[in-house]
Amino acid sequence: MTIDLSITINDVPRLITADLRSTLLEVLREQMLLTGTKEGCGVGECGTCVVLADGKPVTSCLVLAGDADGATIETVEGLAADGELTQVQKAFVKTGAFQCGFCTPAMVLATTAIFRENDQPDIEDVKKALGGILCRCGAYPKILEAVIEVKGEGT
Amino acid sequence: MTTYVGTRAPRVDSVGKVTGGAVYGVDVALPGMLHGAVLRSPHPHARIVSIDTSAAVAAPGVEIVVTGRDFPFLFGAAIKDQPFLAIDRVRYVGEPVVAVAAATEAQAQEALDLIRVDYEEMPAVVDMRAALDSDAPLVHPDLHTYKRGPSDIVPHTNINTIYHHERGDVEAGLAAADLVVEGEYSAHAISHVALEVHAAIAQYDSGSGGYTLWVSTDRPFLLRNELAAGLGVDSSRVRLIVAQVGGSFGAKGVPVAEAIAVALARHSAGRPVKVEFTREEDLVASQLRVPAIMKLKTGVNRDGLMIARSADVLWDSGAYTAYTVGVAIRGSQTIIGPYRIPDLKILSRQVYTNKSITGSYRGYGTTQVTWACETQMDEIAVELGIDPVEIRLMNGYEEGDAYINGQIMHSVGLRETIERSAVEIGWGSVEREPAPNLRRGKGIATMIKPTMTPSSSNVVINLEQDGRATVVCAAPEIGSGQDTVLAQIAADAIGVPLSDVLVPATDTLLSPYNGPVASSRTTYHMGNAILSAGAEIREQVLSLAGEVLEVEPETLELRDGVISDLDGKTLITLKDLLAKFYGEYYSITAGARFSSANSPLLKADPGEEWMSSIFWMLCTQAAEIEVDTETGVIRVVKIAAAADVGKAINPMTVEQQIEGGVVMGLSNGILESFSYDNGRIENGNLADYKVATIMDTPEIVPIIVESVHAEAPYGAKGVGEPAAAATAPAIGNALYDAIGVRIRDLPITPEKVLSALGEIPASE
Repeated sequence: MTIDLSITINDVPRLITADLRSTLLEVLREQMLLTGTKEGCGVGECGTCVVLADGKPVTSCLVLAGDADGATIETVEGLAADGELTQVQKAFVKTGAFQCGFCTPAMVLATTAIFRENDQPDIEDVKKALGGILCRCGAYPKILEAVIEVKGEGT
Repeated sequence: MTTYVGTRAPRVDSVGKVTGGAVYGVDVALPGMLHGAVLRSPHPHARIVSIDTSAAVAAPGVEIVVTGRDFPFLFGAAIKDQPFLAIDRVRYVGEPVVAVAAATEAQAQEALDLIRVDYEEMPAVVDMRAALDSDAPLVHPDLHTYKRGPSDIVPHTNINTIYHHERGDVEAGLAAADLVVEGEYSAHAISHVALEVHAAIAQYDSGSGGYTLWVSTDRPFLLRNELAAGLGVDSSRVRLIVAQVGGSFGAKGVPVAEAIAVALARHSAGRPVKVEFTREEDLVASQLRVPAIMKLKTGVNRDGLMIARSADVLWDSGAYTAYTVGVAIRGSQTIIGPYRIPDLKILSRQVYTNKSITGSYRGYGTTQVTWACETQMDEIAVELGIDPVEIRLMNGYEEGDAYINGQIMHSVGLRETIERSAVEIGWGSVEREPAPNLRRGKGIATMIKPTMTPSSSNVVINLEQDGRATVVCAAPEIGSGQDTVLAQIAADAIGVPLSDVLVPATDTLLSPYNGPVASSRTTYHMGNAILSAGAEIREQVLSLAGEVLEVEPETLELRDGVISDLDGKTLITLKDLLAKFYGEYYSITAGARFSSANSPLLKADPGEEWMSSIFWMLCTQAAEIEVDTETGVIRVVKIAAAADVGKAINPMTVEQQIEGGVVMGLSNGILESFSYDNGRIENGNLADYKVATIMDTPEIVPIIVESVHAEAPYGAKGVGEPAAAATAPAIGNALYDAIGVRIRDLPITPEKVLSALGEIPASE
């Protein structure tokens, strides 16, 4: 059983025929070959599959592809589409806010969403917003440094 | 003079990682690829009576079904005890029994339901103490028949490793001591939880009899050699192409998904087979930290000087040994701590149990023994009424002290790590009671770790015709930043801009041999190899420049891509030199090998040189915590972590390792725990197996101590492992400082805190 979907992915409208049982994560990784979005558990517990759906961070492994019909999806590949890193990406590079990098697409997207809402977010609110994404390398202190950098308070 | 070494250069893997362009093992896909799935044992110990795969073979999309009988090979790093798929008996819940490959992952999973396996259950041994009993069920009755390395076993028991070390007269030392402190401590099983699960693609070429694998690993050559030995083929017949590694922490060195992929690929008529574990499989059926029960008896005089220590360590390898034999031997040695103790005795034994496999974990035994050593050190300080910082300074190793095998130690910055972490945490003052139900305390712990010695690294550097340098070395980037550090060393060694250095991904067919990216050894060993090869490239370039400019090469310098005279006047750029004159010099290439084997630094007592380490890593952490006496919950307020790294090639990546180690150590110490039911892990998911998030992360102050090492590249030692070890005991000691509760069994849970306070009854 398949389903026809119309999803805007990284600013490009796509018509996609997917298995009815597919998740958004599977459509992105396996059909659209956007492997920047990672799978760490497949059941919504690690946060590495976060993408932005209509601007909000969602764990794409928990979204049925059918439920994404009509949505606007942003993945990490959409951020520096013109070849120029975004301010958040630059801050991650400058402060070294990643190690193995497996959670980085999710962390970068979630941080991007925070700054689109508020360019001076409270650090405790940032921690809550990023609290669902695991980073086993423990890059958390440097991720907060990156946030401070984006706020314009970096050194 | 260096241009890049010592700077906070942005990581060379930055852009790929922030844009999603980096390709990890799980991201690799090949045309015509089949997908594998594994049927696993539901029993901790059982005989396989029969396996009926006929319905699975006929299921839609299924191409291959393989059992252990079809693939009767054994592998193992120190003891060849492990089959690729269970043969005749299963030894832990989750052991692979049947593997299926199908056109899609869903078809492979569905086919598993059609397989019928009849088991005859056998008594299981799921407790490491019980495994020592003379009538305990034997996990491996044929242990004595297995091929193995030089380490000792006890035949016809569950003991797969036994190791003794003595120095001085421990009985006399204990008898002469003013105070003897005795205690038993335990460290539990922990999962590495690399966010990228175990995954591999394997392809078999029946023409050549060779295998090619696309994998995510930290030890390409050791993994290659293990697979080849298991398969009975020459090692170069197995080729490993290594993708970005989404975290390892010691997990990705032994055949895991690789074993299944190879078994399926052997029968797939040349089609590649991908095996990707689920998170649950990764948690219960890859490998875990080796649990340990550690008995320590330490004699001190009344001034606090340590006189004697006796250690009895029991390790639990689970069903197969993997890398645990080395952990049980090397790990037990550092239970002595970074302290001068004249009389000592170590007994280390490791047993098989019918539980998940354990193995190497960041620190190779150090996180376990440091817990015991440093918790007891605090108890000694309390009993004697000596400050915990003072007693560590009084006994701690200094430059020139002898290690427990007589090796004279060099590059020992321990004192500075203790002093600076204590100052940073504000040792000696604490706001005890910030609120009626909250108590605060401070604690300190230190550690010592050797690196794998001897070991070797090889590199080939090719100066491309456009002036860029390709550094071919088998050092996969596992996240710890070593590609960046190696590129910085190469840039300065050759004299080219950092942006012109490429450290390509590892391919064992193309890269020369390197030991593992493990044991915090890469910067030192590969760094030294790159220094040699880089210097040779520089020499060749200057020789060419000398010919072209008609001057003596000795009057020229190459730095950051510019050739100048000794007064610093620019004569020509490297790119211009090569563009004009490369034609007849078709390639500038240099290779180098570095081995730590023959260093005079390794000299030790006769017969005990093998215990020496080419460098010693030292790290001290001071913690401030707050405990809620109503809930037992600990909040770590701050951790100051000082690591002696010799020299920071890149202070930013060193900080990353220290901070990341602290987060991991904290998570291991107070959050993570498996629950078992007769050997079966009950919480094989990340909702019930809790890993630290950004919300759990305290203020962490990384402190870099640089006791320059004479034989290291720019003096740099290693940093990847040490920071994970001292965190848990620093927190435990801070808990004692806060409320007088001593926890000796990890993890430190709210339940244990409350039961120690008498608020709730103690549980088993």
